[in-house]
Amino acid sequence: MKPTAMAALRLLGGVILAGLVWEAAVVGFGIRPHLLPRLSDIFAAIALTPGAYWAGLQRSAAETLIGFAAGTAVGIINGLVFFRAPLLRDMLLPVFVVSQTIPVIAFGALVVMWFGNTLMAKAVIAFYLTFFPVTVNTLLGLNSVDPRQAALLRSFGATPMQILFRLQLPMALPQIFVALRLGASLSLVGAIVGEWFGDNTGIGVLLLQAMYNESVVALWAAILCAALLGTGFYALVAWAERRIVFWGAEQ
Amino acid sequence: MNGTSAARGVFGAVLILALWEATARGFDLPAYTLPAVTQILAAVWEHRAALQAAALVTGFEAVTGYAIGALAGISMATLLVLARPLRAGVLPLLLAINSVPVVAWSPLVLLWFGVGVSSKIVMVALAVGFTIFLSALAGFDRVDRRSVDLMRSFGAGRLGIFWRLRLPAALPLIAAGLRVATVRSLIVAIVTEMLGAYGGLGWIIYQSVTLIDFVQVWAAILVASALSLAFFGAVGALERRFIFWR
Repeated sequence: MKPTAMAALRLLGGVILAGLVWEAAVVGFGIRPHLLPRLSDIFAAIALTPGAYWAGLQRSAAETLIGFAAGTAVGIINGLVFFRAPLLRDMLLPVFVVSQTIPVIAFGALVVMWFGNTLMAKAVIAFYLTFFPVTVNTLLGLNSVDPRQAALLRSFGATPMQILFRLQLPMALPQIFVALRLGASLSLVGAIVGEWFGDNTGIGVLLLQAMYNESVVALWAAILCAALLGTGFYALVAWAERRIVFWGAEQ
Repeated sequence: MNGTSAARGVFGAVLILALWEATARGFDLPAYTLPAVTQILAAVWEHRAALQAAALVTGFEAVTGYAIGALAGISMATLLVLARPLRAGVLPLLLAINSVPVVAWSPLVLLWFGVGVSSKIVMVALAVGFTIFLSALAGFDRVDRRSVDLMRSFGAGRLGIFWRLRLPAALPLIAAGLRVATVRSLIVAIVTEMLGAYGGLGWIIYQSVTLIDFVQVWAAILVASALSLAFFGAVGALERRFIFWR
């Protein structure tokens, strides 16, 4: 536990140092607040209406997490189905691969029109932004398993379920986590963009309101919230990866 | 991919489109639920002049921003690899900027650079630049420590090691970054246009949403997807030409 505590302390020290450098640079070089306001001003803005920022953070976090969790579950199941049913895979996988090369986030506009400005609409956007890469990478990971290893297990009398859970799924995990880390960033982007189509709370709403008010301080406050949420969520996924893929099979 | 699975892929796509068309026509679904494929294609044809103009704007923003971002990303990664002391200072700052979801910068960039084309180019350059910077840096760093030591023992300088060892080792990763960045460039251009623009596919999508014109949204998405595929295909073709040893 000691090295982790040390790392956390160093990280905290780094963040505080960065904050001090920011404050000093703005005051020292006389940077116009239009470009970069003082960090203390931004904190003051947040402290003025902490409720709005807290509600926005919670709302966007909920949208992202619900969509991400559903996208992960359905993506992995879908990858398994494709793995087991080659006909289905050949028919549908090209569509999935093509979906990786088109701006699927534009469909967010349609989702918001279908579901209205609800939490669910943004969760759906976060869902499909996670779902496509997780499906593709689950299948990639499952396909990368050496068939001889599966044959060996089978010769010892392992059932297909046992082969799946003891060999194929664990071997696919590193690939799946590559998609999860991508999905963690994408789902938050989806949630924020989804909120732009009109909503009352959320980080996207805070960004939009600050822009319309041309308030750079409020804009930076919202950007800090987005960074906090994005980094926190990404760190959570990376932490889960280190715990689950403890043998560190990356690349 | 062999012939059979390619044929199955085409069959699958056709099947999806046929099912889509049949569902929309058969159940007589209103356009806000699901417009028929032929309806969307008709809308693309009907508004072809406006869509073409918008695609030109968005494409220009994406390609210009992409070129700037790619150049900046590779140069920055090269600089940080060659000038080690710089790395300790600059890398944390860059990572901090990158920790913000890229679309969260859009409103600020829009305030700084205005509603015109330049704000989109800046946003695309930012997104593309970071994507390629990170993949180039990972590529430069993945060389074997012992290979570096070996070259150094033969008297190779830092530049020689970079040119003969690091760059060739990094090229596949840089190429992968360049490919991923094509999609990202269009996404960011479109998303930033949704916030405010004088033209472009994102602007058409946003306006059509406020006018509740569903068919037009689908038409703009279709054109955006075609644009993205074309860009992706072009960069992929260039890559196959120049990184022939993959």
